[in-house]
Amino acid sequence: MAAIITQDKAMAVATVARSPGYWSGVARRLSRDPVALVALGLIILLVAMAILAPYLAPYDPTKASMIRRLKPIGTPGYLLGTDELGRDMLSRLIYGARLSLIMGVIPVPIAFVIGSAIGIVAGYVGGITNTLIMRTVDVFYAFPSVLLAVALSGTLGSGLGNALVSLTVVFIPQIARVAESVTTQVRRLDYVDAARASGAKGHTIILVHVLGNVLGPIFVFATSLISVSMILASGLSFLGLGVRPPDAEWGLMLNTLRTAIYVNPMVAALPGVMIFLTSICFNLFSDGLRSAMDVKS
Amino acid sequence: MMDAVPNPLNQPGDPRDRGGPAQPLLSVRGLVRHFPVKGSGFLKPKKVVSAVDGVDFDILKGETLGVVGESGCGKSTTARVLMQLIRQDRGELLFDGESVGGTLPLRDYRRQVQMVFQDSYASLNPRLTIEDSIAFGPRVHGISPRVAIDRAHDLLHRVGLEPGRFAGRYPHELSGGQRQRINIARALALEPRLVILDEAVSALDKSVEAQVLNLLLDLKRDFGLTYMFISHDLNVVRFMCDRVMVMYLGKVCEIGTRDAIFDTPGHPYTSALLASMPKMDPAERTKVPPLSGDPPNPIDPPPGCRFHPRCSFSEDICTRMPPGVSSAKTQHSVACLMAEPGGLHSRAPALQESGS
Amino acid sequence: MLLYGLKRLLHVIPVAFGVSIVCFMLIHIAPGDPLAAILPSDASAELQAQMRSFYGLDRPLIVQYGLWIWRALHGDLGVSIATGRSVSGEIAAASVNSIILAIAATLIGFTLGSFLGFLAGVFRGGLVDRLASGISMLGVSVPHYWLGMVLVIVFSVHLGWLPAMGGGPGGSDGRAVGWDYIRYLVLPAITMSVIPMGIIARTIRSLVADILSQDFTQALAAKGLMTRQILRHVIRNAAPTAISVMGLQLGYLLGGSILIETVFSWPGTGFLLNGAIFTRDLPVLQGTILVLAMFFVLVNLIVDVVQGTIDPRIQRS
Repeated sequence: MAAIITQDKAMAVATVARSPGYWSGVARRLSRDPVALVALGLIILLVAMAILAPYLAPYDPTKASMIRRLKPIGTPGYLLGTDELGRDMLSRLIYGARLSLIMGVIPVPIAFVIGSAIGIVAGYVGGITNTLIMRTVDVFYAFPSVLLAVALSGTLGSGLGNALVSLTVVFIPQIARVAESVTTQVRRLDYVDAARASGAKGHTIILVHVLGNVLGPIFVFATSLISVSMILASGLSFLGLGVRPPDAEWGLMLNTLRTAIYVNPMVAALPGVMIFLTSICFNLFSDGLRSAMDVKS
Repeated sequence: MMDAVPNPLNQPGDPRDRGGPAQPLLSVRGLVRHFPVKGSGFLKPKKVVSAVDGVDFDILKGETLGVVGESGCGKSTTARVLMQLIRQDRGELLFDGESVGGTLPLRDYRRQVQMVFQDSYASLNPRLTIEDSIAFGPRVHGISPRVAIDRAHDLLHRVGLEPGRFAGRYPHELSGGQRQRINIARALALEPRLVILDEAVSALDKSVEAQVLNLLLDLKRDFGLTYMFISHDLNVVRFMCDRVMVMYLGKVCEIGTRDAIFDTPGHPYTSALLASMPKMDPAERTKVPPLSGDPPNPIDPPPGCRFHPRCSFSEDICTRMPPGVSSAKTQHSVACLMAEPGGLHSRAPALQESGS
Repeated sequence: MLLYGLKRLLHVIPVAFGVSIVCFMLIHIAPGDPLAAILPSDASAELQAQMRSFYGLDRPLIVQYGLWIWRALHGDLGVSIATGRSVSGEIAAASVNSIILAIAATLIGFTLGSFLGFLAGVFRGGLVDRLASGISMLGVSVPHYWLGMVLVIVFSVHLGWLPAMGGGPGGSDGRAVGWDYIRYLVLPAITMSVIPMGIIARTIRSLVADILSQDFTQALAAKGLMTRQILRHVIRNAAPTAISVMGLQLGYLLGGSILIETVFSWPGTGFLLNGAIFTRDLPVLQGTILVLAMFFVLVNLIVDVVQGTIDPRIQRS
């Protein structure tokens, strides 16, 4: 009997058929979604544009000129015209991708890490700890996100750092709430009980059995926040709370060009088109990711 | 080989055996577990559900103890307390004579007691391969990954699944019967002495159920296991079990050998349950439904004997006096006033003359 | 119902308490001396000392909070540094404009969103659905402050139909709500309505699709009860959720109106807040945020209770 099993085992180990894992399934489904792929492609292009800005931009984005202010779109040499200080719009839009993407994207991963940690601990531990953490989260959740972002950066003062802090604080409670509810659901499942019954310690169970099953849904939610974050971040700059002039950032450009709508409306509206485009791409990609991660569909 | 395949260790000569075959493997003493009712205690009086309310029983070495009762009677809560997934409010567990959580640390206890759950899908982590799920327990107890995976493959073989085909797959790719075999393999990976089967075959198709039951009997023999077999299906219990315990609203009604319970039930509730079994023989079919209505709300259990509102032998005394468990015969104990010699119920047997 | 309302209220109190603490702490997380934040920079030493004891800045933080919340509960939110007028008075005047704008925007957004969502839900999977989903996707992705600018460019600059900015004749003081006032309201309200429109359209779409695929509507259709009855069922079943989404959106718009009010110089609370940020008028900033956040908490509570009354299933969760 033992000899048979040994032989059998030797064969089995050599030829175990591996099923593709969950994430390769997600990648496969995502690769069949043309809309999500186009959105992802555009996001990659935008990031590349931000990184390669010095090589792509025809002019220095901060070089002003009083004699060529507010040239219309299509002016020879200034493809997208010039702004109210005579700076080349194309160059500023290309350079603007840098700060706009930093402000819009960075707060989400930071909030993802902090919010997930808070929510998963609250959801797994439960009881009084959960109540204390979640009631605190509720307090921040009780502010409309625009209001909280404006309140924090308005008090802290303008600047890139303060804007990043404010936006991160806005998103932490939202992510923590999702993380907590997903974790609470997973914790009630029998496989977590089975793991506890095998004598595993809490942190082992969280690492092996909880994280793999909750990070996916939290991640999808977080990607859906990037679009919100882009609009909110540019909104802060638009209010004069984000980056300071003369830095190129789409929201700030929209703000300084507001007075130009009577002179050259098309140029004035350009930075908003960039924000809109970026926001749509992130939204579409997030939607595609959501359905690709839904095993049932 | 010894490191990978759990061998028949529970046979006489199991090095882990302490008290000898006469000592029960697990003794449950005065087990109580209440759950607070959600939303009570706030502008309303605090309420509790007495899921398990003072339960005593033994699981003998090498036996299969069946546990039956309607849903909500406390079967599953008892199982989860035995597994220490939830802690008891009162009461004690003695494993082979040692107090669980006292002289026997919880971690050592859990190596020797494992559980198979009803929902085969929910009890497997969807993100782990089959072999990783089975190997998780041994790895937690410090067994090297290679050895743990080897053991997983052996166990897959033992539960009738070819490791080469199944080890690298995910739960959603398998059928319910296959998943339940994997759950059994996972439970055996820690070489337990006692396996709690909580409705482990209830969700399976009848044909698959029979295969899994036979597998369980084979494994019990090969590994020298002891089972606690929870089920609402009396036919299955009759097929599987040596002794049977009947529960009603968090209390034990009756406990005894299979033949005693099925042939000479002592508690009216047991009789009613047996009468509700589907019969093959049309002549045996009962015309009147033996049990009417649902069990009472466990938040406010009836006073006295908990079964009295549904019992056709109920007398005034039953509404006032909770029955004790008759301990006259260890083979068969009944918690009913009608079974108490010299009791106050009109049908109680008279006290026997001393010395006769 | 009353018990449920009371329960929700008791749940809300700790949240409201926490919100007030966050608002109180704003002054203390502001860089520099809190006194410098609430006084003009050229204030005399005497005035500084007076304000220091008035706000209890020489006392422990908890006493300061106590003093502050006690005054706030009595309607005293301090004095604006920029104008010297009472903060609560300024907020009260601005709130009316904000509430009107938010209600107008919610109504427009709700009407358009329901229409879009209903069409998408009925013809789900078809061209109409894709079109409606596309529009609501654009609605949630558009930077609304930019949309406001575009509308101004089209309707004010090019066509000259509507005024570009301001709060109508009389500005923030005299509120003659008439045709002139509405002319000023149109553009900001339409711009703002884009935010709830996409969300309401998505909600209604999934509600309608859900109800139409349920057994009871299928049974109605099988019985030959045609569109009108099914429509009634859909409306009755979708109404509680739709109303609660609308209520929540109203709360969001009131709290989040700062960007749109800034674009259109609409004299509401958001515009007030924007001015306070620029002049670093912290008493106004703090007071406005407190009032807006509390209002949001209150709207949430009302939505909860109303929804619990319409649909008793929700009370259990």
